Amino acid sequence: MVEIQDVSFAYEKEQGTLSHIDLKIGQGECVLLCGESGCGKTTVTKLVNGLIPHFVVGGALTGRASVNGMEVADTEMYRLAEQVGSVFQNPKSQFFNIDSDSEITFGLENAGVAPEKIKERLEATVSALEIGPLLGRNIFSMSGGEKQSLAFASVYAMNPSVFVLDEPTANLDAEAIDILRRQIMQIKKEGRTVIVAEHRLYFLMDLIDRAVFLQDGKIIRIFSGDEFRGIPEQQRIRMGLRSFTDPVMELPCARPPGTKDGLSVENLSCAFDRQTVFEGISFSANPGEVLGIVGYNGAGKTTLTRCLCGLLKEEGGTIRLDGKALNRKQRNRACSLVMQDVNHQLFSDSVWDECEMSMPEGRAEEIEKILKAFDLLEFKERHPMALSGGQKQRLAVAAAILSGKRLMVFDEPTSGLDYRHMLGVGRMIRELAGQKCIVLVVSHDREFMEKACDRIFEMDGRRDGNG
Amino acid sequence: MGAPGKKYMLKFDPRTELLFLVLANVVAFTQHSLWVEITWVVLLLLLIIACGCTKAAGRLALAFGICLFLQYGIFPIGPKILASSFTILVSYARRAFPCLIVGTLIIQKTSVKELMVALRECHIPQGLIIPLSVTIRYFPALKEEAGYIRDAMKLRDIHGIQKIEYLLVPVMISATTTAEELSAAAVTRGVENPAHKTSMVEMKFGVQDFLCLAFGVVFCFISVTAG
Amino acid sequence: MSNSKNGKGLKGKDLITIGIFSAIYFVINFAFMLLGGIHPVLWMLMPGFIAVFAGIPFMLMAAKVQKPGAVFLMGLITALIYFVTGQFTLVILISMASACVLAEVIRSMAKYDSFKGNSTAYVIFSLGMTGSPLPIWLFKADFLAQITEQGMPADYVSAVEALSSNAMLVVLFVAPIIGGIIGAFIAKGLFKKHFVKAGIV
Repeated sequence: MVEIQDVSFAYEKEQGTLSHIDLKIGQGECVLLCGESGCGKTTVTKLVNGLIPHFVVGGALTGRASVNGMEVADTEMYRLAEQVGSVFQNPKSQFFNIDSDSEITFGLENAGVAPEKIKERLEATVSALEIGPLLGRNIFSMSGGEKQSLAFASVYAMNPSVFVLDEPTANLDAEAIDILRRQIMQIKKEGRTVIVAEHRLYFLMDLIDRAVFLQDGKIIRIFSGDEFRGIPEQQRIRMGLRSFTDPVMELPCARPPGTKDGLSVENLSCAFDRQTVFEGISFSANPGEVLGIVGYNGAGKTTLTRCLCGLLKEEGGTIRLDGKALNRKQRNRACSLVMQDVNHQLFSDSVWDECEMSMPEGRAEEIEKILKAFDLLEFKERHPMALSGGQKQRLAVAAAILSGKRLMVFDEPTSGLDYRHMLGVGRMIRELAGQKCIVLVVSHDREFMEKACDRIFEMDGRRDGNG
Repeated sequence: MGAPGKKYMLKFDPRTELLFLVLANVVAFTQHSLWVEITWVVLLLLLIIACGCTKAAGRLALAFGICLFLQYGIFPIGPKILASSFTILVSYARRAFPCLIVGTLIIQKTSVKELMVALRECHIPQGLIIPLSVTIRYFPALKEEAGYIRDAMKLRDIHGIQKIEYLLVPVMISATTTAEELSAAAVTRGVENPAHKTSMVEMKFGVQDFLCLAFGVVFCFISVTAG
Repeated sequence: MSNSKNGKGLKGKDLITIGIFSAIYFVINFAFMLLGGIHPVLWMLMPGFIAVFAGIPFMLMAAKVQKPGAVFLMGLITALIYFVTGQFTLVILISMASACVLAEVIRSMAKYDSFKGNSTAYVIFSLGMTGSPLPIWLFKADFLAQITEQGMPADYVSAVEALSSNAMLVVLFVAPIIGGIIGAFIAKGLFKKHFVKAGIV
């Protein structure tokens, strides 16, 4: 049982506050925390797993939170860890070990559990969550979805009664989300309490018992499961929430290769680490149209974008722009890429400078216009790394747009964005296409692609053997 | 690690390997006779071949041979500049070979996990083991991050001295973020628990460990007294 | 982002932060070690080169973990990784250990949050790596005797002696001091321009 009584909290350095949060969650309940970016849902999860107040430094906390009778503020984190398991949103930075088996048993080893018992728990975890294929592997060779599964297993092995999930699907594709859904169903069946803070809602709709809607750090309303499921479309949009149903994408296929106006990819093959990633890829993308690229993890979407942008040399085939074949260096100059993790491509010490970097002879009005459109104008002197995740994403997109390149490629531009901002990115991408750029979007956010793309190219090749 | 029944390979307890490394060091810096040195190197190479590191042993043997050849064959007769610059280096490298050989064995045949458990069994405090394992675990991640950042720099057309700043700053910031996130994930799984940590990996000394250590000690003795 | 000031001991977050920045320090250190293998003079200047660039991870770690032990662990981890991969000697273990201990003393005297204190500690820390080429001088007599025995001509021996002269010994120690000061100021510049603004210190 989780009890949060009149808790208010303000971070010392980061954005966001909580005001007078009152919440009681019974054992075995599955509760959703939802709302727009910055509403405080992640902060609430930290009240439950003890990151507030033990981990976060500074900040003003009033009120009390307790889990299964333990006062969170007075209990050591390793004691809380026995009751509360936490899964976070970034698969890349949750694992402590290099091999998967050790990762699963990490929590048990920390608790000093006897070796025979560790083995038992390992086997129980593997069978309950069906993660046999994850055993005995180097974590660095795993896909994002596999890593997230492993993180879940690692927490499950500790046998906590409460699971806290902080935007676990932010970086996952549809297949991985499905696996997570089944894992949640499993722990629900076992009577554990589940608290999920999320933007992507469709996979949770039938699992939740209650939904807590937050705004600006306050609980606006707590819905029962049925009430939440019955929210009409218009109201959902006003609340700024993502689609309740599994988005269906019905878009026409990409044009065949050979276009004389635009991008033509002809029989392209790429390899990475001496292994073929894909071969025989052909399609065209015309200016004025947004082409979406989809495919499961391992099919080579990111490799394709890297090749198109000139970061990777093609093994075979041709890439033409307006009929003329381009080599790697030429592609580099013609292309702009917004990467999956925008932290890798923000270099300046202010938002304004970052934009100026993209557009050296740019006029201030243009930069102002785009910052305004992306809700970033008030932050123009702020350091890019001091922005929130969603703001950074928008900044990277803005900088890419300002670079004025002919071919614009976006790799997962909406991961972790809430409804309003996802629409904003979609609008901007459409506008780009309207300015006669050739726009390619790689994404597994089907709700976004339905709105932003005109055509779809599906990469269906899976790598042979292990991905 | 070799699959049982596939090919008989020697496997040592990681603690033996670490102790042996110390012994190798001792021999390396106390011996004075060329023959003691060569015998030690040859015996060590045979040892790691028995553990399955055949290719590496070959490369190390070749490198050692080149060093000897340079020092006794080339330098005395070659131009003086060559000799005076490199002789120090080559001589030093020669002395490092025993350590390099045992080190190769450790890197190739012992998993990080086993090493950490071994250190724990030697009563080394968690205050050292935790950061050490994080350091090792972060190397591949660091490589990945640097790769992405360099890609991004290529796309933004960044030149000259700015390249260093634009590589270092995101790397540092990414490191800070990873430290924050990894700590949260580790602390919420009880890494700070003061209880004695356990493990599924079992550590037991075998006959080969005792023999190996005995052999090493004997050689040290020879080296210190007669070498 | 948060700095650790509450509680005296190193907690889980501190240890992990130390681990990560030590990885970055090690990579910089190793890169220049490899460079030093090309020519003995480069090897002798190696601690100096390292000091210019390693200031960044060092100062960042010092700012984030304002408790005793962080610097000592950074040095110890570097030494251990080198040791386990078979590339270290007793001499460097001693030089690193003493440099780290001295650096920790300075940090604690300066109460952990002054630039002057941290940069002084850093300069001392940078001297730790001098233990790598140091055996050339320590065992000089040994080494010279050995190559004379091997029948090297006299002027060749004196050429070798020149490189391992006392003058070069001074260079060995002065380079990391200068490099360390430069490195500390580079770090300060980056702090001002980026790290403080980004909110990570």
